[in-house]
Amino acid sequence: MWFRKTTRWTQEVDVVVIGSGAAGAVAALAAHAGKARVAVLEKTDKFGGTTAVSGGVVWVPNNKHMGEVGIADSFDDALAYVTRLADGRSDPALIRRYLEAAPEMLEFVEGATPIEFRALGRYPDYHPEFPGGRPGGRSLDPGLFDTNLLGPWKERLRRSPVFGMTAMSVTEATDWGVFSKPSALPFGLLAKRFKQGLVCYGGALAGGLLKALLDRGIEPMLGIAADELLIDDDKVVGVRARQGDKEILIGAKRGVVLASGGFEWNADLCRRFLGGPLTHPNSPPGNEGDGLKMAMALGADLGNMAEAWWCPSLQVPGEEYDKRPLHRGDFATRSLPHSVIVNRRGQRFVNEAHNYNDLMKAFFAFDPVAYERTNLPAWIVIDQQYMDRYALLTYVPGMPVPDWLTRADTLEELAGLIGVDARGLTATVARFNRFAVEGADPDFRRGESLYDHFYGDPEHKPNPNLGTIEKAPFYAIQVQPGAIGTKGGARTDGDGRVLRPDGTAIPGLYAAGNVMAGVTGAGYPGAGATIGAAMTFGYLAGRHAAARKE
Amino acid sequence: MPEVEYTTRMALSREVVWEFVKDMNNWAPMLTGYQQHEILDETDSVWTLKGDVGILSRVVKLQAHVTEWIDRERVVFTLTGLNEKVDGGGELVMSDVVADAPPPPAPRKRWFGRRFLDWLARRMFKRMHGDGPKRLEAGPAAAGAGGPTAQLTFTLRMDAGGPTGPLVNAMLGPALLPAAEDLANKIAAHLERVHLRTDAAA
Repeated sequence: MWFRKTTRWTQEVDVVVIGSGAAGAVAALAAHAGKARVAVLEKTDKFGGTTAVSGGVVWVPNNKHMGEVGIADSFDDALAYVTRLADGRSDPALIRRYLEAAPEMLEFVEGATPIEFRALGRYPDYHPEFPGGRPGGRSLDPGLFDTNLLGPWKERLRRSPVFGMTAMSVTEATDWGVFSKPSALPFGLLAKRFKQGLVCYGGALAGGLLKALLDRGIEPMLGIAADELLIDDDKVVGVRARQGDKEILIGAKRGVVLASGGFEWNADLCRRFLGGPLTHPNSPPGNEGDGLKMAMALGADLGNMAEAWWCPSLQVPGEEYDKRPLHRGDFATRSLPHSVIVNRRGQRFVNEAHNYNDLMKAFFAFDPVAYERTNLPAWIVIDQQYMDRYALLTYVPGMPVPDWLTRADTLEELAGLIGVDARGLTATVARFNRFAVEGADPDFRRGESLYDHFYGDPEHKPNPNLGTIEKAPFYAIQVQPGAIGTKGGARTDGDGRVLRPDGTAIPGLYAAGNVMAGVTGAGYPGAGATIGAAMTFGYLAGRHAAARKE
Repeated sequence: MPEVEYTTRMALSREVVWEFVKDMNNWAPMLTGYQQHEILDETDSVWTLKGDVGILSRVVKLQAHVTEWIDRERVVFTLTGLNEKVDGGGELVMSDVVADAPPPPAPRKRWFGRRFLDWLARRMFKRMHGDGPKRLEAGPAAAGAGGPTAQLTFTLRMDAGGPTGPLVNAMLGPALLPAAEDLANKIAAHLERVHLRTDAAA
């Protein structure tokens, strides 16, 4: 829509930020630091976006905290590593810009917020053995956050349906053996912290960012859905938004930053663009591609549209979040001993313990003769040994076996119940059991990488990721194609400016986070790479927008 | 163990309230998050509820077992989780209110200690006099001087077990009182709507 000189703004600021995840919040803080008056619009009734439901970890190579855990890093190593993982899907100049600016962004955020990051020395990169990879230190833990510091905004901070009730930092979760010793977690302490109002993971990161915004007099405008960018003489000058049935026009003298997340909850966009089916997103349901559509309407160039931050997902029937089915990303079930993933032929097809983003691509393998995806549907199969030791979604040892698990006394019977070839499954498990005893998986190399071990059971010998499946009863649950978010969107330059197909910038329009063409391309370098890139380009975009002349 | 109690009053006789409450089919759909219920026999039923557990919504199946039944006075029941490690129970207590009675007590959350003694006393009584619900006839309800007024008190307690019990209880606690209020108020609103409208029409 063209802005007319006669249009009367409902509100006019210097920089409008659309979305309240880490990208948007940091963009707003950076713009404010640049002396801009800022408005943050959030279409849901909660602050925090995808960030608030995430692990809250921030991946920053060459960060200042790595020395505290005794790990050295260099720009060149990080560049080599990310470039390989991007697989040619990202602009090399943009990768450089990200890696140069990320440590600076970290300094800025730590100075502007109450968050004190801590390097996770034992949380490896997702391909730690690749050239330039690191065994830990690049992923940063935001710690815990006391929501009481938010005053009346306490109830408006989005809470994670998975992490929002267990206030333990990522550091504590690692030290306490959250995956391998779930029954030993200090649930009494966690209950006390819950009552106290402490939050962790993404809630802690989003909470700290919200506190910083409030301290600067920036009250996010919740329940306001932007749906159109307003332009004047080819420049973006404002936003049309809706608050219920009411139309709101917000002027942006210096720029608009799109930080509205991905399109994973928009089935139509997913079908049209993604390289595989995405039926079970893990993010809040508000991520419907609003910013992407607004950018497309202005002729923005797009990039990385086939990609997502893929994540195999599991579902407990009946669980809902924001009135939509809750899909839980699976990080450990498939990595712990006594579990395998099989397809309908009863065959393994991947290193189950591999990182969730790259693992998911094996599910999309296509058989051109049968003209079908060989590995969808797929199931995790476990035995009673697993159930005696480890957690699975809402289940913790000592609780009743959930009725959403398919259960049978024999593998043949289990195969029949889930529609898998029984001979294939029994042969696969027999072979896997030999590998488990020997402690090596020559078929798919499960349990070789330091990354695999992080999600395994360190006390399980000879390999923390390999355990036999032999003790009845046997159990199965279907693995669904999911994602933390999509990462295709508007192409940007190194300042977060949205580009046209001819490479020129659309004046006044910026993008950061999952609404922009992801800087890591196809890859997922390490825990928090989503948020690390989002915050970095939010920082660059907010800073650049604030410096723009009206 | 988190426990809550909520009391509401209706300008109706206790008999009217009892006629409604004595049949679970009447009020089970008024439970917060009600999905379905199944009557197994005279004392047992299975309730399927979709409840908010902290931040997310989850389906919980509970088996209710009536342990005490006094006509026009009270129904006491236990709850046992079928798909979650959770136990609890509750009471629906009806009484008459005289005209100058003080207002009903404020909704309250309380710890289980005192209620445990009540429960223990009932258990001891049952051991001496046999298991199963007691169907006792209460005396005729006394109407208040200004017309009949019945008081309905709903007590509910839940206790999550297993290793995660302390954490689940911390989340369940804040949800119980709204659930108790919701049920008692819905019953009262329904009965007053039906009976007071009928009275007015007559």
